[in-house]
Amino acid sequence: MSISLPIRTSDGTGNSSSPPKSTGLPHLSPSPSFIHKQSPRSSDNSGLHRSASQHIVPPTFKRRRCKSQYPHDSPERHVEFILVASFHIDRGPIMEHQYPGPISSDEGMLAELMLPDQTHVRSQDWTIFFLHKDNGADGEDESAPGNKKERKGKKKERTSSDDDDAEGSAGANDDSEITEEEEEEASSDEEDGGEGPPLMYVLNLVNTKQDNTVKRGAVVKAMAICTRHSFLHIYKPILLLALEDYFKNPYPETLEALYNAVNAMDLSPMPKLNLLERQILQATNSKDMFIEKFEQMVHQRAIEDGENEFDEDNPPSPKRGPAPRYTLPRDTHEFESKIIYNDIPIPVKVPTVIWPEIVGDFSLVKLVQIFSAPHATQPQPFPLHPHLTTSGPLTHPIIVLVNAMLTQKRVIFLGHNRPSGEVAEAVLAACALASGGILRGFTRHAFPYTDLTKIDDLLRVPGFIAGVTNPTFANHPEWWDVLCDLPTGRIKISNHIEAAPVTDGQLYFQQQSPVTATGLNADPTGDNLFMEDVLRSIANRYGENAIRAKWRAYITKFTRTAAAFEEIVYGASNIYIIGPNEELSPDSPSGLQSDPGDPTTIRGHGYVWPDEASKQRELMASVSRIEGWRTTRSYYSFIQDIAAMYWPSRPIQKPDLHHHHDRLRTLKLPAYDAGQIYLAFSHAIKDYAGICQLLTVTPESQAGLFYLAMGLLHPDRTVREATADLLERIALHPAGRHFWAQLNRFAKTAYFRIKRQRDAAGNSSPVVKSPSDSIGPPQSLVGVAMSGVRSRGS
Amino acid sequence: MGGSVSKIMGKIFGTKEMRILMLGLDAAGKTTILYKLKLTNQDVTTIPTVGFNVESVTYKNVKFNVWDVGGQDKIRPLWRHYYSGTQGLIFVVDSSDTSRLEEARSELHKIINDREMKDALLLVFANKQDVPGHLSPDEIISALKLHSLKDKVWYVAPSVATEGTGIFEGLAWLSNNVKVQQPQK
Repeated sequence: MSISLPIRTSDGTGNSSSPPKSTGLPHLSPSPSFIHKQSPRSSDNSGLHRSASQHIVPPTFKRRRCKSQYPHDSPERHVEFILVASFHIDRGPIMEHQYPGPISSDEGMLAELMLPDQTHVRSQDWTIFFLHKDNGADGEDESAPGNKKERKGKKKERTSSDDDDAEGSAGANDDSEITEEEEEEASSDEEDGGEGPPLMYVLNLVNTKQDNTVKRGAVVKAMAICTRHSFLHIYKPILLLALEDYFKNPYPETLEALYNAVNAMDLSPMPKLNLLERQILQATNSKDMFIEKFEQMVHQRAIEDGENEFDEDNPPSPKRGPAPRYTLPRDTHEFESKIIYNDIPIPVKVPTVIWPEIVGDFSLVKLVQIFSAPHATQPQPFPLHPHLTTSGPLTHPIIVLVNAMLTQKRVIFLGHNRPSGEVAEAVLAACALASGGILRGFTRHAFPYTDLTKIDDLLRVPGFIAGVTNPTFANHPEWWDVLCDLPTGRIKISNHIEAAPVTDGQLYFQQQSPVTATGLNADPTGDNLFMEDVLRSIANRYGENAIRAKWRAYITKFTRTAAAFEEIVYGASNIYIIGPNEELSPDSPSGLQSDPGDPTTIRGHGYVWPDEASKQRELMASVSRIEGWRTTRSYYSFIQDIAAMYWPSRPIQKPDLHHHHDRLRTLKLPAYDAGQIYLAFSHAIKDYAGICQLLTVTPESQAGLFYLAMGLLHPDRTVREATADLLERIALHPAGRHFWAQLNRFAKTAYFRIKRQRDAAGNSSPVVKSPSDSIGPPQSLVGVAMSGVRSRGS
Repeated sequence: MGGSVSKIMGKIFGTKEMRILMLGLDAAGKTTILYKLKLTNQDVTTIPTVGFNVESVTYKNVKFNVWDVGGQDKIRPLWRHYYSGTQGLIFVVDSSDTSRLEEARSELHKIINDREMKDALLLVFANKQDVPGHLSPDEIISALKLHSLKDKVWYVAPSVATEGTGIFEGLAWLSNNVKVQQPQK
């Protein structure tokens, strides 16, 4: 195994590829079965766990099994290693114990990481660092049950045997379900990403105890937990207790007790959600979004635990262990469990939605505040660099930081006299900022905490993001491109930074429109406006989740802008897959219907600007950073992710839902054009997954279904009825019902008027209940739904 | 910027800033010296330095930014990262630890032969003069082979760090010599 040195040379095709593992190919041409995919209750098969999927769904049980994110009988451990290091007064940092076995051949380096600089001046400190555990390279971790390579192998084997089981024993199931299962299993595989084995995250606690009985008066010891889970912060309380114990009992048994306690944590009732569902859950504030899946998990566990009388409210006590009660979460965004250590139950909360590059419990709000406050009171001009200062010398420092990360600059967070946990948190927050949970390639090159001992290795990593506490880093501007000083809240651009090369895109835009180049708009990128919005939201206490959502939207917009840029400059984009019947040519206007018989063939894709001039202005202002991004790791992994993950996860490939919904939102469309969109949507969006896809582009923060509901007021009756049909399907959808509930009364009234009119005309299906029910639970519409959607509610 | 303002103030009132690096074998007394400088007249108890300490001390109108870096042999290779921009080196020797004087000599010569340290003043604290069996400053000079150094401004000050004896004398030497050096630059 190798440690902490994510050296991946930037070779053309995307360093993040790990060819042998990627199963991406079958999904490059999405099969039609995706479109028919109806999987109300299923989410992705986690695919990892033989026995979990061997439990056969009883034939009487109609719903499809809901897969657990962390099956209780998984061979994968929550925590793979426990380490203890100490500072030896003659030899410096040394490793004392490792459980269950040695993690690495380079113990010295690990011990150094575990004992951060200046730990002797504070009694307690936290650090986080990542290990790049390269399984199988050397046999040393064969004992580790969670060996990833092994798992992968098993997975492949099992896929086939699993299907046999399914066919053999549950013959009643129709074939499409089995295909679908395969499909989902494979796609979940890809969500692992093509970046090689997942990182090993290390949460480390170090204590310094003054002790006059020992030579030189103090004992410094550190204990670390190594896990593949990105929510490593949940282990903080238990690590505090365990290190305290270790000071009293410095033996491997203390490590063993901790190891067993954390691995006994039960997360199995946590359902696995697919990509679209995760997007919906994250974007919503509803505390019971997808509660159905949790209910089903409880139900399944009740059956699994071998009891016949299952009762959702009082699940029978399980066969082993001290009766964990399977209760429904108060908020489906997180799952509550507990770790029992030394008979003390310690509650933990595990996030349901895990995004790539989101590690630990950092705060974007805090990061933004640290670097905004000095800028607001006393702005300092930056030296200009086209990749970084996209809004001139007074570009907001946070934008400079994001630009630096997007264009793969070397970024250092320096926190002199600060706990190393604080710089680690800033690094993790910066990764989340630039990733938005969408782009990858940041955490893999991040060193949340590092020190001088690793400087030579660090400098070999292109575009690292590192956290340090040693101010000597500030004296070496040749080591970094951008230095973010946490105590002062200032960001510095190094005078050693490499100049940005001149690129095709820049030349193109210089030739294109020299006139509008310096237009009247003082904020062509919109970044100033964006930062104002973010700061205002923070001031109004919108909370971490809202701020993260804004950044996610910002990065989404950045990628869509980049796609538009590529199409203009290079004629095609690597980061947008053109749907069927869609054309690249910019002269075919959005909204043109290529096949008059099929409303879904409506043309147009990508980001929507209010007019051509603003599009040109924004693209021109963003040329440099887009071009800077186009050579980076995150760009290449994004191309891969689009092909292997984002695109295949979308059941509806025509029309471009995001584009056309944006047109409804941003443009004042003539009635005819708007009508076409409503018709196209109503024709295209029929099933569970399709509705999920639609809901991802209508988040609550952007008025939810409001723009869609405007179709209820369209002058054309067919449009109105089509919109009503679509909304009806949404209202009956397990996630859509929350969106429907938030729709204003005005729109709902319009909806029921249309239904009444249609019924009066003797059209279509059964009776709609009286409008007075409309505010009530959407279940009142069940009767109607049967015509449109395959039943999923029962 | 704050830094440039204080530099201007420095010119008006004649204070100077001096970056000092303090090195030496482990347990020589570096951290004790640093905190005796910083917290005059207070008892200082120290524990082994993990990484480094840095403090600024103003003495005779000179602001000394003193870096004290951990001395265990495994972390000595890191010393070089602190060289650039250093105007004065304080090398601390445990005068009673005669068995390791050769080790100390070899480390010291490695440091001052580095290109980035060629202009730095060298102050050696012959520390722990209170411990029985200690060597005198002259014996330290010969043990460290300081006479063999060419083009080097150096000085050996006897000290007892735990009592604060000799420390400010050493600093005074640094501050006087940096004054002499200043016009040449």
